[in-house]
Amino acid sequence: MKHWSYDTAEDLEQPMIERLKSFPREPDILVYMIRGLAALCVRAWLRVYHRYGITGLENIPKEGSFVMVGNHASHLDAPCLVSALPLRKLHRVFPAAAADYFFQSVPRIWIASVVINALPFGRQVNIRQSMGLCEKLIENPDNVLVIFPEGTRSSSGELGRFKPGIGALLAGKPVPVIPCYLHGAHASWSRHHYIPRPRKLRLIIGQPLSYGHLKPGKESSLTIADELQKAVQALAPKQ
Amino acid sequence: MTPSAALHDPVFRAYAIFAASLLVVVGLILAIMSRVLKKDVSSIWKTYSSWLIIVPVVFGFIFAGRAPAIVGVTLLGIFGFKEYARATGLYRDWWITGSVYIGIIAVGLTSLCSHPRGGPPGWYGLFMTVPVYVVALLILVPIISNRTKGQLQTLALSIMGFIYIGWMFGHLGFLANAPHAYGYLLYLVFAVELNDVAAFTCGRLFGKHKLRDRVSPGKTVEGALGALVFSMVLPWLLHFSFPHFGGLQLVLTGLIVGIGGQLGDLAISVIKRDIGVKDMGALIPGHGGILDRVDSLIYTAPLFLHMVDYFYDLSK
Repeated sequence: MKHWSYDTAEDLEQPMIERLKSFPREPDILVYMIRGLAALCVRAWLRVYHRYGITGLENIPKEGSFVMVGNHASHLDAPCLVSALPLRKLHRVFPAAAADYFFQSVPRIWIASVVINALPFGRQVNIRQSMGLCEKLIENPDNVLVIFPEGTRSSSGELGRFKPGIGALLAGKPVPVIPCYLHGAHASWSRHHYIPRPRKLRLIIGQPLSYGHLKPGKESSLTIADELQKAVQALAPKQ
Repeated sequence: MTPSAALHDPVFRAYAIFAASLLVVVGLILAIMSRVLKKDVSSIWKTYSSWLIIVPVVFGFIFAGRAPAIVGVTLLGIFGFKEYARATGLYRDWWITGSVYIGIIAVGLTSLCSHPRGGPPGWYGLFMTVPVYVVALLILVPIISNRTKGQLQTLALSIMGFIYIGWMFGHLGFLANAPHAYGYLLYLVFAVELNDVAAFTCGRLFGKHKLRDRVSPGKTVEGALGALVFSMVLPWLLHFSFPHFGGLQLVLTGLIVGIGGQLGDLAISVIKRDIGVKDMGALIPGHGGILDRVDSLIYTAPLFLHMVDYFYDLSK
């Protein structure tokens, strides 16, 4: 008789907080339950408090991995973009979150990994490693990566410059990338406010783009970042 | 078991005072060792600070009453099984692990409610037959999902996990239904932990011959014998926990804790060594996982329950 082989969890002997910090995280029924409940609450909150509306839902691919990029003005951005997707995709949606902000203190780590399902992205250190994580994520089937290519929350509410990293990630890959524009987030909860104010939020989802035809390189990275920035800006409602 | 009953119960009060003073004394000794004697106690300190949390939590659940005590044991069972499932890889099968969780909750519920035709709290008959229904439920999973590959391993691992961690450990919760619940629960928890300490200390002092070198290389025959002697004496010293016990029952209690406690420890070691992990988890700093802490109770709780039930009838 052959011996059994055990498929032990990778993070078995890590303390709880290390487990939440690591990525990819092992699946956990309890975490999935909390995340599901939190998602229901967040969706209800957005509908009622912010009268959240979405246009262009038909532009979201039905299957396969894709990337969502959007403008970044507040902490509401990631929950809003995640809420545009059906609940059954909840555990496959990974917003890239700044490791130096979200993965430092225990409450933030907990919220980022349990509620938001964030991918820790190093902005100053381990950038290459973080890019590798993102690449692996979108190479696997049926994952959604949410990225805010400005790299930080805009303090004026205006769309900032997109970093070329998004281009390096997408060049030469056939994955669709969906430009999104969230209107009203800066008025609701800019980085100068502690609590969100009841302003209307509207998400406009653009048509998918793809950069599979471009060769990876510095130039194409800049081109893609530029193009995506224009695509997101174009979705903004005219004042 | 209610908070007011706990306040007036001499057994509960005695254990609470004793546990608190033990923690204070050990804390003082550690402080003297590190400050005055300048010894490195950082690893013991970590273990000790975890005790500072474990002891109030355990007393809190028992103090809060019968239902909270059973809920506490059920939660420990669920999270203990979760560690086992993560170590064996069983947790990747959500339907199987979910069914075992349902089974463990059923163990808790049968300890909580009484027989529908009336009777004392705790549905003894159903509690003892829960494994029948849970095994039947687990076997349904591969049938319904129409799978065969590797299913025997999944089933065997889940049944072992449920029986050993969910049900056998769940006997501790059922003991909360007994009239002498404070004495039984507190004595068992306390004696089993002291038995561990005694085995460790005797092993350090006199240990020469390995007990089971492949299962648990740190344990020695001398440590095990020392712990057994200690556990045989302890029921006489703490006779006030169960004043109705005669000599035979005290001897049996000593044997159950002295032998069962160490067998429980070795049993979890067998599982750990086969899987190839050092600890079942890292929830409790300085101790490992939940299973590393409660392993000795898994063996002793059912044996003790049946011993008590044989002589006194649990409900009286």
